[in-house]
Amino acid sequence: MRLLFILGEIGSGLRRNLSMVISVVLVTFVSLTFVGAAGMLQMQINQMKGYWYDKVQVAVFLCNDGSTAVGCASGPATKEQQDNLQAMLESPAVKQYINDFQFESQAEAYKHFKEQFSNSPIVDSVSQDQLPASFRINMKNPEKYQIISETFSSQPGVETVSDQRQVLERIFSWMNGASVAAMGVAAVMIFCAVLLITTTIRLSAFSRRRETGIMRLVGASKTVIQLPFILEGVIAAVVGALLASVTLWLMAHFWLNGDLSRQFLNTPFISSTQVLVIAPVLIALGGGLAGISSLLTLRRYLKV
Amino acid sequence: MIRFENVTKVYEQNARPALDSVSLEINRGEFTFLVGASGSGKSTFLRLILKEDKASSGSVYVAGQNVANISSWRVPKLRRGIGVVFQDFRLLPQKNVFANVAFAMQVIGKSRSIIRETVPEVLKTVGLEGKEKRMPHELSGGEQQRVAIARAVVNRPGILLADEPTGNLDPITSMGIMGVLDKINQNGTTVVMATHDDDIVNEMRRRVVELKNGKVIRDEAKALYTSMIPVVGESRRLKDASGEELNRAQGAQL
Repeated sequence: MRLLFILGEIGSGLRRNLSMVISVVLVTFVSLTFVGAAGMLQMQINQMKGYWYDKVQVAVFLCNDGSTAVGCASGPATKEQQDNLQAMLESPAVKQYINDFQFESQAEAYKHFKEQFSNSPIVDSVSQDQLPASFRINMKNPEKYQIISETFSSQPGVETVSDQRQVLERIFSWMNGASVAAMGVAAVMIFCAVLLITTTIRLSAFSRRRETGIMRLVGASKTVIQLPFILEGVIAAVVGALLASVTLWLMAHFWLNGDLSRQFLNTPFISSTQVLVIAPVLIALGGGLAGISSLLTLRRYLKV
Repeated sequence: MIRFENVTKVYEQNARPALDSVSLEINRGEFTFLVGASGSGKSTFLRLILKEDKASSGSVYVAGQNVANISSWRVPKLRRGIGVVFQDFRLLPQKNVFANVAFAMQVIGKSRSIIRETVPEVLKTVGLEGKEKRMPHELSGGEQQRVAIARAVVNRPGILLADEPTGNLDPITSMGIMGVLDKINQNGTTVVMATHDDDIVNEMRRRVVELKNGKVIRDEAKALYTSMIPVVGESRRLKDASGEELNRAQGAQL
């Protein structure tokens, strides 16, 4: 009985304040979409880190014909220099830091290059001689890159030592930046949402002050009087959160796992099911914020 | 049923208190008129009973309980034992007569079957049989006030507070309303009615408590609107003073 009554009150409150309720729904929708997008970016970063960090290598590039580095003054790396480097890699001082290493000759480099850029006209303008041979080193701990770099970059015949991880780090820091920006926008929007919910509840309480006055007089409990208002705000915010969740899921399903994954075949994207982990967080966040802001508003504007 | 012990209520510091050390007892089943000019403290008196306001000093007892000791979450329970009627009826315009009365039961969680049983009964008591489906704007002022009374008593409170219930009504309609209040009083409900309506008070001949500037200046059984005791100041002392002074006052009158 009381439940039905409260539901009826909520219904009439939502109807009376329809335009305000819709704006609450939209603002929470947009703000939580940004929150969720930031979350998705973080998930994507973690996913890519896990995937790439196993694969990335430190490459020690050897001098070739066109090298201009100081270590390459004597021309392309000789067989002797190459053997010398291999011996160093096998020495215990270096070996403790690395899992294994391979040598990639110029011919192999050319083959990989052709595979990687098979669709691009650049392949035709590059010859085998222009590509450097390299040692590809898998580190035990990628953080120890500095040691390898210091050991090898000054050796004769070495053009440069590059850490592929650094390239990735740049991408990740860019993605991190984007997720921070999304959180910033989300924070502003959430602030708007809270203010809007506060105003809506205030209006709602004002437009129903007759009812609440009578309820108070005949001894209705605080819960019965306040709950319809609080739930009104919470329902609007939860609808917004649901819309945001659906939007994020659609984004993951049709954009990340559709277009983007077709364009970037060897990039691991988060799956749309993983996005569903974010949905409960968004709903709890939206509902919680709305509940708290309604409660605080009622404390000021609805005497019980 | 209602007891005031030296109750003072100050709304604003430095201003004259709305109630000034009022001591008064209203017994179960009594019908009491609260009279006095506007600003004499009648409404404050009623608000203190409902715990809408807190006494600045002194104690208010309702049904044996000091309202100051009632925690805020138990105030609704106190109010369920008190019905209130106002001058401006305060009906819900978009609900019909039945729904207006039923509202008071719904919000305290009464079951639908009890509501369906009780509301027609109460409407019969206030003389509104067959008007369940009417909307408030289709009713006369007197009928609207009857709906308000029905709503106030539908949960069978022990106390009914009426704040100028006939203030907006013509004399004949007012007498009808008084008949309803009297009937409710006959059923055992304590009624406290604040009023300016001298005809009604004179007609009913019930206990009259007169307030002036927040003080009780008269408290008489079966009294008239205006005092029959000529010296008003003396009569107040009758109420407040010690036995010795009481005797002296009586002696003076003889």
